[in-house]
Amino acid sequence: MSDKKHQVTRRQFLNYTLTGVGGFMAAGLLVSPIRMAIDPVLKESSSGDLVNVGISVDEITDVPQRVDWTVEQVDGWYKSEPSRSAWVYKDENGEIVALSPICTHLGCVVSWEGSEEHPNRFYCPCHDGLYEKDGTNVPGTPPLTPLAVYEQEVRDGILFLGNPIDRKGA
Amino acid sequence: MKWNKSDMSTYIKAKEYIDTVIVPVIPFQTSKDEELIKDAHAQEVMTFFVHHLEKELSGRIMLAPSYVYLKSSELDEEIKRINAWVDDIQSQPFQHIFFITYDPKWKKYEKEMKGNLLWLPALQSEEIDVTEPRGIIREQVNQVVELIRSFW
Repeated sequence: MSDKKHQVTRRQFLNYTLTGVGGFMAAGLLVSPIRMAIDPVLKESSSGDLVNVGISVDEITDVPQRVDWTVEQVDGWYKSEPSRSAWVYKDENGEIVALSPICTHLGCVVSWEGSEEHPNRFYCPCHDGLYEKDGTNVPGTPPLTPLAVYEQEVRDGILFLGNPIDRKGA
Repeated sequence: MKWNKSDMSTYIKAKEYIDTVIVPVIPFQTSKDEELIKDAHAQEVMTFFVHHLEKELSGRIMLAPSYVYLKSSELDEEIKRINAWVDDIQSQPFQHIFFITYDPKWKKYEKEMKGNLLWLPALQSEEIDVTEPRGIIREQVNQVVELIRSFW
């Protein structure tokens, strides 16, 4: 039994193994908190992407028309496909405008010329809210802010819409 | 709006604007195999239907939780229970109460009901897709929206 054969003593061997195993355990414990801490960075935004709403630029006229589409929304393991709608038209400069149909008062769905008494305006059937064609709320009716405008982009002649963006009151 | 936490906090602040309650009326049973699929599907379609109805008019209507009853139970008894719902609803400033059902048995009890009964012919078609409001369901939603608006 020469010392040269025993370059690692029993004590050293135990130290190494314990440090190793302990290290693994500590790492195991740390992984979840670290994953949690940086989680928002890893998460891809599922609703922020622009979605093809199934209408080409040529089909859009100066009269607002309603388009409906669905977005895939992932909330944990729960997947849903909420439907969304927009009123889409070209303004006098030929720019595409996509307005959210959700009344800013209490959330009913407004429609273009929804009331015969109010031509050229968006009308909310719930409490007679009115909006101009550009989505501005008409003073004296219940809504206090204009209709939200969708983020939009045209790709290869097809309209893509993102999230509705709220606007300040008139 | 729906009967949930966030909508009810809006409701309390805006009571004067919400004057209509919608109550889906849904029969339940598990005892008859031959009707199980049909009844469960009707329940699904109804839930989907009122959900989209609520979306269109959410600022003025409150969608109550479904009134569920045993399919075999006597409507003489159920009518008392459903009217007790009405009494409770009317302690708030609601003007219109609509019961929506696919069960034709209620039609006979309409007069005793303290609310408006909307009986809709059941949509039994296999094609009804309860993930997106298309075609026939969308049509039905629009027509019921018109009907409710005519009461306002």
